[in-house]
Amino acid sequence: MRKIILLAFLLPLAARAQIALYTVNNGVETPIGAVLDLGKVAAGDTVSVRIRVRNVGAKTANITYFFADGVGFSVDRPSLPFPVAPGSVQDALLSFSQSTVAPLYPGTLSIKSDINNISVTVIAAVVVGPVLTVFPVCTGSNGSPPSIDFGLVQAGHLRLCNFSLQNPGAQDMTISTFQITGAAFQISPGLSAPFTIPAGGAVTFVINFTPSAAASYTGSLAIATRTYALTGTAFNAPLPTPLLEFDSGPIQSAQQRRLTMRLPSAASSSASGLVNLAFVPDTTLVTDDPAVVFLATGTRSLPFTVTQGSALISIGGQTSAMFQTGTTSGQIRFTLWGVQTAGDATTVLTIPATAISIDSAIATRRTGDLDIQVTGFDNTYSAGAMTFTFFDTSGHALPPGAIHADFTQDFRTFFTKAQAGSAFQVRVSFPVTGDTSGIGSVDVQLTNAAGVETQHLNFQ
Amino acid sequence: MRRFLLILCWVCASAVYARAQSGIQVPTAGAIVDSSGALRPVQGVAGSFWLGPANVSGILSAACSEQLCLAKTDSKVLSPTGSVDAPPGPAIFGLDGDRAILFFPEPRMFARWHDDSLDPLDWTVDGEVLSVRFSAGEAEIAVRRDGQVWIVRADGSLVDSIPDASGPVLLLPKAVVFATKDEIVLRQDDGDVRFELAGAQSITVMGPGYAAVSTGGAIYALRTEPGRESLFLLPGNAP
Repeated sequence: MRKIILLAFLLPLAARAQIALYTVNNGVETPIGAVLDLGKVAAGDTVSVRIRVRNVGAKTANITYFFADGVGFSVDRPSLPFPVAPGSVQDALLSFSQSTVAPLYPGTLSIKSDINNISVTVIAAVVVGPVLTVFPVCTGSNGSPPSIDFGLVQAGHLRLCNFSLQNPGAQDMTISTFQITGAAFQISPGLSAPFTIPAGGAVTFVINFTPSAAASYTGSLAIATRTYALTGTAFNAPLPTPLLEFDSGPIQSAQQRRLTMRLPSAASSSASGLVNLAFVPDTTLVTDDPAVVFLATGTRSLPFTVTQGSALISIGGQTSAMFQTGTTSGQIRFTLWGVQTAGDATTVLTIPATAISIDSAIATRRTGDLDIQVTGFDNTYSAGAMTFTFFDTSGHALPPGAIHADFTQDFRTFFTKAQAGSAFQVRVSFPVTGDTSGIGSVDVQLTNAAGVETQHLNFQ
Repeated sequence: MRRFLLILCWVCASAVYARAQSGIQVPTAGAIVDSSGALRPVQGVAGSFWLGPANVSGILSAACSEQLCLAKTDSKVLSPTGSVDAPPGPAIFGLDGDRAILFFPEPRMFARWHDDSLDPLDWTVDGEVLSVRFSAGEAEIAVRRDGQVWIVRADGSLVDSIPDASGPVLLLPKAVVFATKDEIVLRQDDGDVRFELAGAQSITVMGPGYAAVSTGGAIYALRTEPGRESLFLLPGNAP
């Protein structure tokens, strides 16, 4: 009867309680009972448990006290006071660490709010932990936090690291947990839990780190009460220096040429990057030639890819890439970006200076004028000197013979202003009087720094 | 000699010099409709082209000659001097100096264009009209009938056939450009010039001496000038 009365008295209190405590492990909440056991902790190590404060009531709870009393215990939580709204949670971290071996470390985790209070007994044991020695080339630490780094490894290659696990105590040590996680990490067969390390003795083992692709890798190695964070980074091996090749024939201005790229040997890993081209003109009159581009995109950069095991390089998804050489003498420089290569793949094409190239020309008559229109390019940017010799319909030169004119400044002004390469269309008009029907043709001679180009035109 | 002679002298050369100052410009090879439907001038010289800025958008088809450039939107025919209402859909252009014959495939209607006006023509041509040209002042039309391409006049009389053509066809004043499965063929009086190119979807007049060949993924400039026949890829027009 007395028990029933007591329960009846307690039930309303429980119903009114708003704050509840849980542990959280991998996202799973577990209610905390009267005692929370943190288990065995290696001397000098820290064990931490995530504590969740949940407001299960319908009213905001103001937390005014939240501490862990007892040697070695501490709580990492927000500054007091803090509210927890109905249905909301607040996480904190309960930690324990001691360097002195003892079978029981007791403490109290207490939380107080304006609604209800909770007090939980927390306990932990400190034991002699095994000491892990990490041999080069790996590096590691037994504490704060325990970690092992496998360093930089070429993707697809194996790195073996040797370890020695020692028992520094005076009693045999049973290791009941010996487990590794992480896709790239693997313990070599031969040692599995549980196993015993004699007092003062040691066991050795090997961990393989085999990254399949360039990336940062993580994992964990749990030994007894201690968990080591495993890290390693894999990089792609430098590509064999790519060979940049062009379709046959001398490189000149106003060409559309084909670039292919290949490796001298198969790639050990897949890779991708950009192939870029840049142009440096010989002349100082312009700074660039905008017609020097990859034709697929009209740009100066294309993506390329190479597949592991292949020597073929795909440029923009194709086996080759077309580009224009423009109308300016100078150098087209191809470079690769975004990949490591064994050597410098930079390739330079030299566009030689040439005499003026005439793309088309026409001579026409108008009343009072003879018009000569020439379309072409001058990749030296030195055009201007012209000579015109008119002929009658019988092919005899008309007086006064060769007529010289110098349009150098006009061309310089045009080139500088247009900044569009050296392509030009020039119309030269000769005012005439009299009957022009007897004028049959004209020799047009265009001179630049690289030579002389002559075109014979019949009047239409 | 002096009778028709001219004054070609140093003084004249000075005059020439003065005129030539404004006589230099960036060469233009024609115009194309790019993948976004914008009319773009093709500038530069053979082998070194670039596309100029888009001035007009919503273009379905276009053709340019030395004297005239016409473009078709969904409802109008545009020229450098103005526009005129037109039937919906694209158009096929047959340019002749400053005039043109247009064919509108959707209503299957021919019309004569001049001075920004359209005069409907009562021509009836059976088959799929592929191209129109003027030859000796008379219109000639390329049509596909039962898989065979014929060149006919407006009155239906037969001029020629193009047995190899399996794709688009363009009639030029003195040549024919057509596509086979794997090639572009430039047929002239003195023979064929063939270029390896698969998947041609359209061939139009790009400008004097050039035809534009579209494969859907790229546009090519075909130089049709006798003796200088070449096929160039135009930059930056991939979709």
